[in-house]
Amino acid sequence: MSELDQLLTKKVADRYLKREVLGEGTYGVVYKAIDTKTEQTVAIKKIRLGKQKEGVNFTALREIKLLKELKDPNIIELIDAFPHKGNLHLVFEFMETDLEAVIRDRNIVLSPADIKSYLQMTLKGLAFCHKKWVLHRDMKPNNLLIGPRGQLKLADFGLARIFGSPDRRFTHQVFARWYRAPELLFGAKQYGPGVDVWAAACIFAELLLRRPFLQGNSDIDQLGKIFAAFGTPKPSQWPDMIYLPDYVEYQYVPGQSLRTLFPMASDDALDLLSKMFMYDPKARISAQQALEHRYFSSVPPPTEPALLPRPPPKKESASFKVSDFNSQGGPTVLSPPRKSRRVMPQREGFEMNPHQIDKIDEHGNENRQAAGERSEHVPMSLDFSVFGMKLPTRPTINSADRSHLKRKLDLEFQQPEEE
Amino acid sequence: MAANFWTSSHYKQLLDPEEVHVVHPLDKERGITLEDFKLIKLHMSNYIARLAQDVKVRQRVVATAITYMRRVYVRRSMTEYDPRLVAPTCLYLASKAEESTVQARLFVFYIKKLYSDDKYSLYRFDRFEVKEILEMEMKILEALNYYLVVFHPYRALSQLLQDAGMNDATQLTWGLVNDTYKMDLILIHPPHLIALACIYIASVQKDKENTAWFEELRVDMNVVKNIAMEILDFYDGHKLITDERVNSAMNKLAK
Repeated sequence: MSELDQLLTKKVADRYLKREVLGEGTYGVVYKAIDTKTEQTVAIKKIRLGKQKEGVNFTALREIKLLKELKDPNIIELIDAFPHKGNLHLVFEFMETDLEAVIRDRNIVLSPADIKSYLQMTLKGLAFCHKKWVLHRDMKPNNLLIGPRGQLKLADFGLARIFGSPDRRFTHQVFARWYRAPELLFGAKQYGPGVDVWAAACIFAELLLRRPFLQGNSDIDQLGKIFAAFGTPKPSQWPDMIYLPDYVEYQYVPGQSLRTLFPMASDDALDLLSKMFMYDPKARISAQQALEHRYFSSVPPPTEPALLPRPPPKKESASFKVSDFNSQGGPTVLSPPRKSRRVMPQREGFEMNPHQIDKIDEHGNENRQAAGERSEHVPMSLDFSVFGMKLPTRPTINSADRSHLKRKLDLEFQQPEEE
Repeated sequence: MAANFWTSSHYKQLLDPEEVHVVHPLDKERGITLEDFKLIKLHMSNYIARLAQDVKVRQRVVATAITYMRRVYVRRSMTEYDPRLVAPTCLYLASKAEESTVQARLFVFYIKKLYSDDKYSLYRFDRFEVKEILEMEMKILEALNYYLVVFHPYRALSQLLQDAGMNDATQLTWGLVNDTYKMDLILIHPPHLIALACIYIASVQKDKENTAWFEELRVDMNVVKNIAMEILDFYDGHKLITDERVNSAMNKLAK
């Protein structure tokens, strides 16, 4: 066996056969590989452990944490994770393309049934996240990946967060601008799943129009674009608006009717769209309710995922097939890395530091919270003097109580009817 | 009670006590008994709480860090995974996982500050630099099988207290819940049952007649009672822990 052959058949982590580089991810190189255990094609994200000396990247850690909990047909599967040569590697199912490529491909005709199918899968993934108290916070067409059998899956949970505690304060610097809900643009720090629904509505509109719907080139301009489409919100429509941190009054402009904006859409589609685009996040439809909307039960039924139109295999994939074929005969040169497809104008500010802003912002919040908690801080209840570490001590239970308590604890309780 | 606990990895990973209270063969070779094992974990839990005061993170981060550490020792030996390095690294990892990141070099600073004091020389670990923490972080992630979401009794506690009309017992029960992290309860029982056990103890102590309220909850009160007993047993046993016992257990670790 030649040296190169050996190199090509060398397994990573005793399991994966490394293939060509697919692109540069948020925090490292992504490459294609074959999982020899399952014969499945996978995408492996190598997470750079970098110069910053902060170990496993914070964003990557978020993604791992949440994806380990989120197992759903419409959410990207984290198959495995392993350290290799000091770097952490995440193994995902391999996805052929993404919704942005579908929308941009001029040769693809999307029927109303196709659009319904793509939106349904998007909302299913989203409803599952929300049921698990996870906000995605970065919904946009190129984070909706499409698998070999047409299944759409939510990916890139690097900005996602658990929104368990009702009064948690978050950063509003999330989402690519065009998909940002008006409450975020007004600086809301306490927001909920409605932000993802708004973004899903933008994606719905983009499927109908075949171009991004609200293309603002600054946060202010983004609000302007939103108001130009739907009209400046009146306080009666959205009572909490004026209390948002960055609220400024906009000159009143009347909106256009959805019918004018989306001349080709069905009435059901427009009705759902209007509910997803509600200004007041409290009035906005939830992902689950949206799935129950009559749009999804009326004709035409959503297209079977496997029958959905998709872009032809990419040039790179095609060349990969050739090299794949060659590799059976002998050593081959792997195809060059695919350039990251993503070109999003006016994203510089966001691109550069969403993470940073996030961190700073959350840190600020953290401190505030920590301070809040300290004021109610309950001292540890045991005496730590035995460990030579005096914590602010006040015994929770003193010894005299204990035997008495134990006796009393021995009360008989009726068995609950249901266990 | 968090609605999603029952579908979480935390729920699926709950263990039987027999699975938790097992000394790794490698540790046995060093003469570490089950008592030593529990004592070291208790001791390192206290250390995490102490270190957390310095680096200033929330109680939730402390609770998560201790849970990570206890999970690590269900499968890994203390011989290979030195608790003096594992404990602070768990706190570092938990601070990231709970969205309150503290810089690694800050951790190292406070760790050194803490053991430069003679009292804490027990924690001295000479190879302690950022590099070691980051290497251990990776090993801990692997030992945890990358499961990082942990549920705690605190949220259930405040809801239940309110429901039971026992807001006056907040301090007492919060303290009790904190103390449960000195045991392995979080690996064995759903967090809301731990919260209930603490409320149970508090109502008995405060002579608050709560039987009807408990019976209305759809939970197995025998389990709650057993947890409560275990907590009280722990308080009893805790009296007998001396510096010497802790030292002797810790010394078995040091070669």
